[in-house]
Amino acid sequence: MIGRDEARPRAARRWTRIAAAVQGPPTVFLILRRMRAPLIVLITIFAISVLGLTLIPGRDDAGQPARMGFFDAFYFMSYTATTIGYGEIPHAFTGAQRLWVIASIYLTVIGWAYAIGSLLTLLQDRAFRQALALQRFTRTVARIREPFLLIAGYGQTGQLLGRSLDALGRRLVVVDTSADRVDALDIEAYHADVPGLAGDARNPKTLEHAGLGHPYCEGVLALTDDDEVNLAVSMTAALVRPDLPVIARTVSPAVGHRMAAFGSPTVVNAFDRYGDHLRLALRAPASYQLMVWLESGPGAELPPRGQPPRAGRWVLCGYGRFGRELTEDLRAEGLTVTVIDNATTADEPWVVVGDGSEPSVMARADLGDAVGFVAGTDNDTTNLSLVAAARRINPELFVASRQNRPETAPLFAAMRVDSLLVPAEVTAHEIYAQLSTPLLWRFLRDMPALGDQWAEAMIERLHKRCGRRLQGLWRTTVDEHDAPALTRWLGGGPATIGDLLRHPDDRDQRLDIVPLLVMRDGEVALGPADGDELRAGDQILFAGQPWDRRALLDTLTIDAVSQYVLYGRRVPSSWIWQRLSRTPRAG
Amino acid sequence: MSLEKVIFGFFVLLAATLNFGFFIGDIDDPTLHNEYELFAAVVVNLIATVLKFGDRTQIGAVHLATSLVADLQLIAATLAWTWATQISAAGLDGESMASVVSLSGGALMANIVSVVLLVIETVSFQRR
Repeated sequence: MIGRDEARPRAARRWTRIAAAVQGPPTVFLILRRMRAPLIVLITIFAISVLGLTLIPGRDDAGQPARMGFFDAFYFMSYTATTIGYGEIPHAFTGAQRLWVIASIYLTVIGWAYAIGSLLTLLQDRAFRQALALQRFTRTVARIREPFLLIAGYGQTGQLLGRSLDALGRRLVVVDTSADRVDALDIEAYHADVPGLAGDARNPKTLEHAGLGHPYCEGVLALTDDDEVNLAVSMTAALVRPDLPVIARTVSPAVGHRMAAFGSPTVVNAFDRYGDHLRLALRAPASYQLMVWLESGPGAELPPRGQPPRAGRWVLCGYGRFGRELTEDLRAEGLTVTVIDNATTADEPWVVVGDGSEPSVMARADLGDAVGFVAGTDNDTTNLSLVAAARRINPELFVASRQNRPETAPLFAAMRVDSLLVPAEVTAHEIYAQLSTPLLWRFLRDMPALGDQWAEAMIERLHKRCGRRLQGLWRTTVDEHDAPALTRWLGGGPATIGDLLRHPDDRDQRLDIVPLLVMRDGEVALGPADGDELRAGDQILFAGQPWDRRALLDTLTIDAVSQYVLYGRRVPSSWIWQRLSRTPRAG
Repeated sequence: MSLEKVIFGFFVLLAATLNFGFFIGDIDDPTLHNEYELFAAVVVNLIATVLKFGDRTQIGAVHLATSLVADLQLIAATLAWTWATQISAAGLDGESMASVVSLSGGALMANIVSVVLLVIETVSFQRR
């Protein structure tokens, strides 16, 4: 997985180009090409006017015939054509000259109008503006000098994930087919500037513009709602940059397999994951609660703990991809399932064929003695009415529903559904867990095995230390790079995690930080106790508030603070004072 | 036959021939160099330059470059001529005429390169 501080060797920081020169069209060429005709017209008009003035005989002040030279003629035309107009120079004009000048004035006005008009038309031209936008985007992306993630598809999932990742301080580049969504990027309150391009992600060139070949591109996320596009994106990424991690979203296992054929992308199937979640929620509600909390990203509030019925019969409406996945999962948990679907070809005895919104069909499913109900069609209005109908028949039911569109969220909230599947959110949370830090992913994977009671205790601990809102999760490695001061002093004596988490101002107080996981030599220990010993090279996943994180950072990086926090010794922090007091420096 | 190519070739050649017409003759004899021809050369050169705008091929770029050089030289020649006829006390003497004509000679070089490029382009197009 992707680590934020994964250092790539300097030599690897090179662009990978798909084609020899994939660049935005230089807009200056476009301007030149479009301005050819107006410019030639202008030059011709000027030339004819100047030439005419030099050829037409004039008279000087003494009445002698005198012709205008080229210099005077050009001078006169220059101020006449630009509508400045000084008068008749060097001598008053004759009638013939005036006649010619009248014609020239109108000609030049037409010339200017044509040239300026063409320029304005060009500036309003859609193709020109697109070229301009593309060029600006390409330049912005090329200038990025820190690792960034390329997101293809900025729909509901992309936006949720974008906000969470931005809160973690990750840089993003977005490609979406809809120009409206890309424009919305400017309005969203992101910490960092997020460059966006309206374009088709299936086209490798679009991805190239978005920085697929950029040396600082650290991963590709295919999050469009079209499986085909996601497949194309993960294929392109795997072929052009085999070294890049790819995370792709899909709702179809078949497409998932096709994606896996190229490289080793991480495929996230929201329906599949929701089934897993529901199983976990059935078996271990607290583990499920902890998982949802940690996955929800910075600032997430502690979700309520649901208690789905563990035994009995479930009724499920809608037997599409989602329905089938969920039926299998529920069966695997030892539950019986009755399915209602009006257009199914499945010839299975537990399937009631018919429209779920019809009372007679509902009656056949016999909701009276069921324990759970799932409204899983791909239509939100249908789902809402199904939930209402089911509740009317049996108010005791545990009701789960699928919410397809973000706009209907308030309706589902008002319905107080016990468990809600929002595919976009499931996908976003899943990918967030994988991207935020590799340790969180490890934690979530290993956590269910420890049982519900352990999870309950962990939630209790987190709740007590961090409050209802979980602000930050971060990884600290006890090494020279992340914790220079700490590693120096660790040689001097043993220290425990509890020692590390003492407050830098008063070591009898403890920082409100909860260590979630310690990884040592590839082995992980979940929920370490304060008494566990600390060793150099340990990777620790912490949860806590930002201010506590800063205090911990002092301990890790400042020698004097580290010494005081670990061993209670006050050592001088300045170099001179250290020399004077002859404090031995460890390390 | 494409009209665009005809017009393009016409202007490139005309620029070169006008330039040559002005250049030919004793370098310091003002009577042998017609100022109208210089004017025509400047105008036609400018038009030829604009015609070369927006061509993104390699040969198009060199075309544009040679044209810009020719423009630069011819405008310098015009300025020299203006200085001699309008500002300088000595007027258009042999010395100043020589500098005007030699500058236009430089432009002629660039125009010849332009013509050569045109020929090369035409020939390679025929072979394809």
